[in-house]
Amino acid sequence: MSTREDLKTAIINGKRKDVKTIIPELLEAGETPVDLLEKAMIPAMSAVGEKFKNNEVFVPEMLVSARAMKEGMKLIEPALIEAGIKPKHTAIIGTVEGDLHDIGKNLVATMWKGAGFEVIDLGVNVPPAQFVDAIKTHQPAIVGLSALLTTTMPSMKTTVAAIREAGFDTVKILIGGAPITQSYADEIGADGYAQDAGSAVDAAKATLGAA
Amino acid sequence: MGVKKNKKIDMATISGKQILINALRCQPTERTPWVPFVGVHGGALIGVNATEYLQNADHIIAGLKAAAERYSPDGLPVVFDLQIEAEILGCDLAWAAETPPSVASHPLDEDYDLSSLAEFNVGKGRIPLVLDAVRRSKEAFGEEIALYGLLTGPLTLALHLRGDDVLLDMFDEEEAVPKLFDYCADVAIQMVDAYIDAGIDVIGVVDPMISQIGPEHFEEAVTPALNKIFDHIRARGALSSLFVCGNATRNLEVMCATTCDNISVDENVGMVELARIARAAGKSFGGNLQLTVVLLLGETDDAERDTVRCLDQAGAGAGFVLAPGCDLPYAVKPENIEAVAALVRDPYKLEVARNLPDKDKNDNFDDIHIPDYSKEPAVIVDVVTLDSAGCAPCAYMVKAAQEAGKAFGQPCEIREHKITGRDGLGYMTKLGCTAIPSICIDGKEQFASIIPARQDIVDLLQKATLAKV
Repeated sequence: MSTREDLKTAIINGKRKDVKTIIPELLEAGETPVDLLEKAMIPAMSAVGEKFKNNEVFVPEMLVSARAMKEGMKLIEPALIEAGIKPKHTAIIGTVEGDLHDIGKNLVATMWKGAGFEVIDLGVNVPPAQFVDAIKTHQPAIVGLSALLTTTMPSMKTTVAAIREAGFDTVKILIGGAPITQSYADEIGADGYAQDAGSAVDAAKATLGAA
Repeated sequence: MGVKKNKKIDMATISGKQILINALRCQPTERTPWVPFVGVHGGALIGVNATEYLQNADHIIAGLKAAAERYSPDGLPVVFDLQIEAEILGCDLAWAAETPPSVASHPLDEDYDLSSLAEFNVGKGRIPLVLDAVRRSKEAFGEEIALYGLLTGPLTLALHLRGDDVLLDMFDEEEAVPKLFDYCADVAIQMVDAYIDAGIDVIGVVDPMISQIGPEHFEEAVTPALNKIFDHIRARGALSSLFVCGNATRNLEVMCATTCDNISVDENVGMVELARIARAAGKSFGGNLQLTVVLLLGETDDAERDTVRCLDQAGAGAGFVLAPGCDLPYAVKPENIEAVAALVRDPYKLEVARNLPDKDKNDNFDDIHIPDYSKEPAVIVDVVTLDSAGCAPCAYMVKAAQEAGKAFGQPCEIREHKITGRDGLGYMTKLGCTAIPSICIDGKEQFASIIPARQDIVDLLQKATLAKV
C-alpha cells in the first residue's frame, strides 16, 4: 500500500508513472485531494527547490519533478475544483520586452506552480503594456519579470514603471535573471529579487508577508 | 613578487601567438597570454550594430583590426555567435542591436525527426562569410595573433533544436537523446574542418548550457559528443578549448576528463578551484574577468584589480590564459579592456595594480596625516611611487624631482612615498594621484606617469614658492 511519503518521493525523483498509480490508490484509501496536495505534493516541490538551491540537483532534475507534479495535479484538480479549493495566490510571469530567453522564467513558473500558486505565463518578449493588461484581467498578487541579457535589463525598469503608473501600487513585483542583483531590484523599485528558481518561492512568500 | 627584468628580450623573440599556444599546451611562458573575446563588441569599435556586424565580413575584419590594435591580444575569436549552425538547421533568429541573435523557434519542438532538419553544410547560411573573415584575418594578423574558431557545443545546439525539453528527455528518451547529441557533434566536426582549412589555430567549443546540468548527465549525454569533436580537432593538429558560462563548478572534474586541451570559464566559477582541478588533469585553463560589474560597468582601476585577481588566483605554474568570462558585451568600455592589456604586457604596471588599495574597504586612511601645505615654510614635493629601488620609472621620477629641487636653489623638500606601504597608499588616496609614479607639489598632482623635464618642475616650484608669500 502506497503512502503520502511514497507520493512525495515519486515527485522528488520525477517518477511521473509512479505518481499516476500512487494517487488513485491513496484516494481510494480515503486520502483527500487537499491533503495530498498540501502534505505531499507541495512539500515535494519545496524539497526539490531546496536541493536546487544547495546544488544537489540541477535544472533537468527540477524539470522532471515538475513534470511529475503536473501529472499529479491533473489527477486531483477536478476534485479540488469540486471542493471549491482555490490556489492561495495568483502570479503573472514573463520575460521582458526584447529578451527571448525562457528557461529561467519557465523554472520559476514551475516552482511557483509547485508551491500551489496559479501561474499565468505571458511568455517571452513581453511589452510593458501586456503586463499591465494581464494585471487588470487576472488581479495577481505577484508579477515576475525575467531577463537574461544586460541589454534587456532596462526593460524591467520600464515595465515596473508602467505597472506603477497604471495604478497597481500593491501588486508585488519580483525580478530575476543572470545579470540581476538585489541592488538593481532596489534601484528600479521592484519589491523583491530571487537569485535562482529554487529561491523564487521563498522570495514570493517573503514579499507577500506569508510564511 | 619581484618585477621581471628579462621581459623585453622574450617579447622580441617570441610572438604573442606562440606564447598563447605554449600556454594552451601547458608549457611554461614568460608572461600570461591574453585573449579578449571580442564578438559583437567589434561592431561597437567600428560604429555598427550587432546585426550589421555579424552579417558582413568587411565589418568583422574592421572590428578585429580595431581590437588587435587597441587590445594587444595574443589570440582573438573571429566570430562569437552561437546561432550560426542553428540558423542553417531551421531555427528562426531574432536579431538585436547589441547582442548576438537569439533562437526564437525549435525545429524539433514537436518530435525527434532528425531527417526533418535542413541539411547542414559549411556552404550554407553565414558560414561562408565567417570563413572569409577567418582567411582575411589570417592574412592580416594571423602570424602574430592566434585565431579562435568558435562553434556551438552539442548541448547548446541540442537545446536550440529541441528546446528545453531536451533536458527532460535525458531521463526517458534513451535512444533519441544520444542520436541528437551525436548529430550535433557531426555538425561541429564539419565546422572544425572548415575552420582549420581556413586557417584557425584554436577551436573553441562553446557550450554555456553545461552550467545547467549535473555531472551525471554531463558524462552520460555530453561527454561522448564532446570527445568526438575534441578527438577530431586533435587528429587535425589544432588545439581545442571548452568554453562554459555560468556556475559549472560541479562539472569541472568531468569537463577536465574530456579530451580537450583547455577549459575556459566565467566569473561564476572560482579560479582557484579551476586552477587546482585543471592542473591535476593536465589541462590548461582560462578566464574569468568579470564581464558586467567590472568590464562593462566598472572603471579602469576595477579592471586592473580584477586582472590581478585572475592572475593571482590562477597561481604559479603553467597553462593559464587570461580572458573575459565570455563574449565581451557590445558596449564594454574599451579603456577597461586596454587597461587589462596594458597589465599583461607590462610587469611594472601589474605591480602597481597589485598594490592598489582595495576599493571595497572604504578606507579613508585617517591614520595617515598629510601636511597642511599652506602652513609649511618650504614647498613640499611628494613623489608617490611603487618603489624607486625596484622600479625604473619610479627611480627616474624621484631623480627628476631631486634634480629639479637642486636646480631650483631655494628651500624645498622632496619626499618619496611608496605604495608598497600604507603611507604611500594614504598619500596616493588623499592627494588623488591618477597614476604611479606621480609628482605632487604642495598637495596638487602635477605630473603623472610621464617623467617631466627638469625645468617644468622648477617652474612649478617657483610658482608654489610665490604662492606662499
